Amino acid sequence: MAREEISTGNELCSMAAIDAGARFFSGYPITPSSEVMHVASDLLPEVGGKFIQMEDEIAGICAALGASMTGVKSYTATSGPGISLKAEQIGFGFIAEIPLVIVNVMRGGPSTGLPTRVSQADIGQAQYPTHGDFASITLCAGSLTECYTQTVRAFNLAEKYMTPVFILLDETIGHMHGKAVIPDLAEVEASVVNRATFDGAPADYKPYDVPMNKPAVLNPMFKGYKYHITGLHHGYEGFPTEDAVQCEFNIERLVGKINTVAKENDGLDDLPDYEEYMMDDAEVCIIAYGSIGLGAYEAVNKLREQGIKAGMFRPILLWPSPAKKIAEIGVKFKDKIFITELNMGQYSKEIERIIKRDDFTTLLKANGRPIAPSEMVAKVKEMM
Amino acid sequence: MRNSLRFTGVGGQGVLLAGEIMAACKIENGGNGLKTATYTSQVRGGPTVVDITLDDDEIRYPYANEGEIDFMLSVANVSYQQFKNGVKPGGIIVVDPNLVTPTDEDRKKWVIHEIPIITIAKEEVGNVITQSVVALAITNTMTNVLPKQSLIDTMLSKVPTKVHAANKLAYELGEKYAKEAMAK
Repeated sequence: MAREEISTGNELCSMAAIDAGARFFSGYPITPSSEVMHVASDLLPEVGGKFIQMEDEIAGICAALGASMTGVKSYTATSGPGISLKAEQIGFGFIAEIPLVIVNVMRGGPSTGLPTRVSQADIGQAQYPTHGDFASITLCAGSLTECYTQTVRAFNLAEKYMTPVFILLDETIGHMHGKAVIPDLAEVEASVVNRATFDGAPADYKPYDVPMNKPAVLNPMFKGYKYHITGLHHGYEGFPTEDAVQCEFNIERLVGKINTVAKENDGLDDLPDYEEYMMDDAEVCIIAYGSIGLGAYEAVNKLREQGIKAGMFRPILLWPSPAKKIAEIGVKFKDKIFITELNMGQYSKEIERIIKRDDFTTLLKANGRPIAPSEMVAKVKEMM
Repeated sequence: MRNSLRFTGVGGQGVLLAGEIMAACKIENGGNGLKTATYTSQVRGGPTVVDITLDDDEIRYPYANEGEIDFMLSVANVSYQQFKNGVKPGGIIVVDPNLVTPTDEDRKKWVIHEIPIITIAKEEVGNVITQSVVALAITNTMTNVLPKQSLIDTMLSKVPTKVHAANKLAYELGEKYAKEAMAK
């Protein structure tokens, strides 16, 4: 069963967070993400949750991490400049293994850039938002419906893998207003993943004593299970350590619990990591994601009306990337691959890394304007 | 059948709400509607453009395709000049003549109607905020894209009860002025 909502991407994102079980939001308003926060301030008190507007971006993520440590599903929302400010605490979330959903509604950068205009300039930032070695999980919503469904998914992945998860929207998707068909609340609630807990004797509890490629088991704080939590490398009970073997194991596990698991299982869960449109008989493949996928879809239709067999591949799980599928596209389409994104080629570099070639065509834009289907059509026709 | 409409003004005039109402009304009538707004980082006074796409079938790309816009309404010269070329040749443009000055060439290229939208809202309705509803009525009267009563109902659901009477009046006046302009 499904419901229909008439809303914006930002509003749907916050609705999804609460339907997925989030009961805490802290953050600091920034265009074009502020409506995520507005909706949180409206809806969280109605369900017994807590909303706090903090004094700045750093405090915004600190409070959300703290809330999550008590077992409460938490989220924060910002745009690229806010992610830059939150960078240190994102790293704390990675190493301490604290689930958190971070919404980034992308605008033009670097620095304060183009506040009200659309961009996809934070793709690289989402992969490596802070110093050190870790693996990021990043989902990218490509429709109003996905602003809802991928936010639910972000919460489930955060709990499953015990890590901060990014959900990327962009100004277009975040602010566009229209119809979204979203799953019923009962269906969403049935899909909810909650973090694992340790139920044995408190004296036996060692939250970080887990096998390679498995996430830590962090019981909610203040429930009788004592442990230490720190940004320093730590041993099984969370206390700092500089033991070489332990540190190496920590880092391999931190990266492996996401990257190795994704590679072995072809993804991090059972949900689609990408959308394919008209790909079966396609002779040219348009690769686009986020709001640019909306134009790419219409470009495929226009090209087919003109007799050019185009298809679209739209990744949803950007990090870790759906590498197996991208490699297949590299083999099938050879030099008939067209990548279009609202930055100077941040995801094109990932495609190049996977297919080990750079003979694709790109249409890149970083001036705050969207890419129209007609621009894509013109570029593809040049290729044929 | 796709309808592509554009409202342009400056930040703070309420053109965003008019777009939301049209998209919502189309959806409530079983179709699809999308509204996007492009604005600058100026809080008030920056050029604003709202694109409204209405279709019985699926819509993905949410912006108007330049050169394919059926109808544009403009209440600020800076935005009019910047965004007029999105309108297809022969398309309809409504401007507030106190604020927007189309060129002679523009009048050859498009069907331009002049309706003093802000003055109607300010002096005949008595509340300048109702200008977006005057614009809404003009748009729908000229394009006939949505059922009138349904549009009024959607509009009333999105404005506070205490201003329902003023907004109903704004709609009736907008419709009257649009019909007069079309009869000229």
